Amino acid sequence: MTRLVRPSLGLLGRVVAILLLTVLIEFGASTLLYERASEFAVRDDEARRLAEHLVITQRLIAERPPEQRPAMAAELTTDRYAIRWDRVPPPLPRLAPPLDRMRSQMLDWEPSLRKTAFRVALADPGRKSAVLGGLRLDDGSWIQFRTLEPVAAVNLARERILLALIPAVALMIMAGLLVRRTLRPLRQLAVAADRVGDGETAPVPESGPGEVLSVVRAFNRMQERIQRLIDDRTRALAAVGHDLRTPLARLRLRSETIADPGSRREMESELEEMEAMIASMLAYLGGDEEPEAPARSDVAVLCATLVDNACDHGGHATYRGPDHHEALVRVNGLKRALDNLLSNSLHYAGRAELSLAPEADRLIIRVEDRGPGIPGEDLERVMEPFVRLDEARARDTVGFGLGLAIARRMVAVDGGTLTLRNRAGGGLTAEVVLPHSNISLQTRCVAAKSGH
Amino acid sequence: MTAPNILLVEDDPALRMLTARGLQEHGFRVQPAAAAPEMWNVLEGGDTDLILLDIMLPGTSGLELCKAVRRASDVPIIFISAKGSETDRVVGLELGADDYLPKPFSTRELVARVRAVLRRPPLHRRDGVESGTMGFEGWTLSLPKRELVSPTGASVELTGAEFDLLAALCDNPQRVIARERLIELSRTRLGDSSDRSVDVLVSRLRRKLAIEGRPAPIVTVRGIGYMLNTPVERH
Repeated sequence: MTRLVRPSLGLLGRVVAILLLTVLIEFGASTLLYERASEFAVRDDEARRLAEHLVITQRLIAERPPEQRPAMAAELTTDRYAIRWDRVPPPLPRLAPPLDRMRSQMLDWEPSLRKTAFRVALADPGRKSAVLGGLRLDDGSWIQFRTLEPVAAVNLARERILLALIPAVALMIMAGLLVRRTLRPLRQLAVAADRVGDGETAPVPESGPGEVLSVVRAFNRMQERIQRLIDDRTRALAAVGHDLRTPLARLRLRSETIADPGSRREMESELEEMEAMIASMLAYLGGDEEPEAPARSDVAVLCATLVDNACDHGGHATYRGPDHHEALVRVNGLKRALDNLLSNSLHYAGRAELSLAPEADRLIIRVEDRGPGIPGEDLERVMEPFVRLDEARARDTVGFGLGLAIARRMVAVDGGTLTLRNRAGGGLTAEVVLPHSNISLQTRCVAAKSGH
Repeated sequence: MTAPNILLVEDDPALRMLTARGLQEHGFRVQPAAAAPEMWNVLEGGDTDLILLDIMLPGTSGLELCKAVRRASDVPIIFISAKGSETDRVVGLELGADDYLPKPFSTRELVARVRAVLRRPPLHRRDGVESGTMGFEGWTLSLPKRELVSPTGASVELTGAEFDLLAALCDNPQRVIARERLIELSRTRLGDSSDRSVDVLVSRLRRKLAIEGRPAPIVTVRGIGYMLNTPVERH
């Protein structure tokens, strides 16, 4: 999304502010949880045992003369606790958090420790936490101790990770939603930009932070300009098309005065081709027709009539399907689409079959021929406007290569699809699939009848 | 019978001259006019049998002129237009024009249309707008729109020749029409571009008009022709 616009300070500022907030909250939360976790980790019984051991150690070492004290300390060192005697206080790591709660508990159990400047801290906080500390003897020397087994190390790690993870995940989700929300107008902009030129233009809702808002506004203005430009060009081309028909009409009438029947016929066919080109261009531009509303129509008769018309003009076409089938369609558009498909088949194959197969929720209309077909890789391309496959297929193609493009668009207006396929055994199938709801038609049918 | 007088309103001088020449060669008298004022001048003479009217005229459009003419007279009007659009055709016909001819046209087509309109009884022009609608057994046939609507309200597509044949049958309900007369009536519109026999056209019409097991009301009268076997109401 951010790639859509140049990073602006406002947008960047928002994202940074959101992330900063997230990090700060996460930091605070985990610091708090970290300390709590460490205190919980050192369990009460552990503390009590340590306190007892220290009281005994203190007495035994205090009884000995200084030269015997190191040996005594060594003797008092167990699997659990390491004891040392020294003249200085134990060096506590700088980062070791003091265990205040544990210390006060231990002092409660063994009040004799109170006079010893007793100190205790957590060494290497993390997976192998150890408790270390010291207590001062009456002569100012120190007993240093350290737990050798990690204090509830596993518990500590698991709980800490879990507890730190929950808020982190929650905050990331929150941050994600906030960023998403901020960028929503940009997403709408991207969707709208993708649609420009598809014929349907809808202004993007003007909302969002200042920079995005100005982009949206600029985009809407641009969209308007593009639409106006397209409309102007379309109108201009349509006007040219209409104006060309007057000289064409003059030429047509003049051609009738040509004495030689051969050249007259040739000229007439040239004129017909020119007229067909103009008509197809106007149809493609949509400059000749008003937008059509869907109306109730007998599609089966429409198909049969197209076939009859083709036969009347010398084509070999047949119709297969029911005698009657009513549907809501844009009848002029559908007629033009099917007529183009039928003319194509008759042109390339000489014969064609038009068939109608109504199904529960759709209509399938096929135009099938046994002509040369279309190379597989071109099946999609031939439906693009101004594309003609001239090399192997006839050079005498009439028009601009708009027939299939027009057919596809007319079918799409009705919410349908046009697909071209090569047939097994040679030839082409052009398949039009129109969605339609029989139910609504039948109810209307009943209503219309009861009204009579 | 004197030659029919055609008023030709066309702004392009060359096309006006060529069209006029074509009509004259087929025995019509032509009164050319370049725009509205000239047209009104000619119409005041009161000797006009049919108007050929270009839709796109400078100044007042052909559609406006058509409306104005219809307020004063029943004279048949054929539109000539560079727009091949279905909407334009329907609008023109709804305004009271009798037919519509897209540019470019051949003299043959033009003459066929002119003759067909002149032959048609003036009946469906009586009120100008929305006239020329006929109904039988729930079917509705609109001559101006050249449209057939089924009893369930669906539009039913017919070829030009089929439509003209049905219109001829409806014009003479419950009367036998000779095959030769039907050929004449149904071929006028498209000139001779359709070479179908009346029998083929009738069998197609029967199929398209037969619904829910009820046969179409067109009966064959052996050796003579066909008949629409049901009353027709005119609107």
